[in-house]
Amino acid sequence: MKTRPNDVVAEYLHEVDQRLTGIPVLQRRELLADLAAHIAAEQSERNLASEGELIEVLERLGSPEVVAAAAHDEAGTRFTPPPPQRSRFWLILGIVAGVLLVLVLCAGLALAQGGASDPAVEQVPRGIPPTVQHS
Amino acid sequence: MADVSQLSTSLRRGTLEFCVLAMVETEDRYGNELVRRLGEEPGLAAGEGTIYPLLSRLRRSGWLESKWAESPSGPPRRYYGLTPAGRSALDHFRTEWVSFRQTVDRLVGTGEAA
Repeated sequence: MKTRPNDVVAEYLHEVDQRLTGIPVLQRRELLADLAAHIAAEQSERNLASEGELIEVLERLGSPEVVAAAAHDEAGTRFTPPPPQRSRFWLILGIVAGVLLVLVLCAGLALAQGGASDPAVEQVPRGIPPTVQHS
Repeated sequence: MADVSQLSTSLRRGTLEFCVLAMVETEDRYGNELVRRLGEEPGLAAGEGTIYPLLSRLRRSGWLESKWAESPSGPPRRYYGLTPAGRSALDHFRTEWVSFRQTVDRLVGTGEAA
């Protein structure tokens, strides 16, 4: 039970850190060190022991989104989340793969139909597609 | 609600930093002190944690200086103090602010004489 309050702090700092992409590394480290020092000072000066009391300290600091947004604002940078970019890459890759699959299937079907049909069909003038014969 | 928070954000921008400078004008203060004090004021800070990036910028722009010092109880504290450049920036803000405030009061009708 004794390590749990620190888990909350570590999780909070991690959440902030994740949103600091784009901010120069030393400013990132500085902010995380300042936040950690703030929490540690509150903890010792107010004799906080429970997780609930620590959560109150973190709530007063503000959500990771709010704190990181302020950091980007002051640094003149903008938060560019890497995960959505990667998921967009996979989305595009998926669409391309899907289109290719459909094309291959269509080509396969056309070939199969062409192969199964009567040899006379091969003689049909080029302007009329083979499928017309079936309808 | 969004408009209300947007207004206070706009008003805060450009003024909050001078409130911070004024707080360390006569004596050095450490992060928790500054943050706690500003957090007590309504509408001044969106969250206590948003003050630290501001302190970082003021230090990098040479208006504040900071030093870590041992604490009588607990972890080391980071103390902030005003530099000569910060002091003249604060003096400049004070004169600008008075005339700015008077102009806005006159135009918006919030002055005491209005």
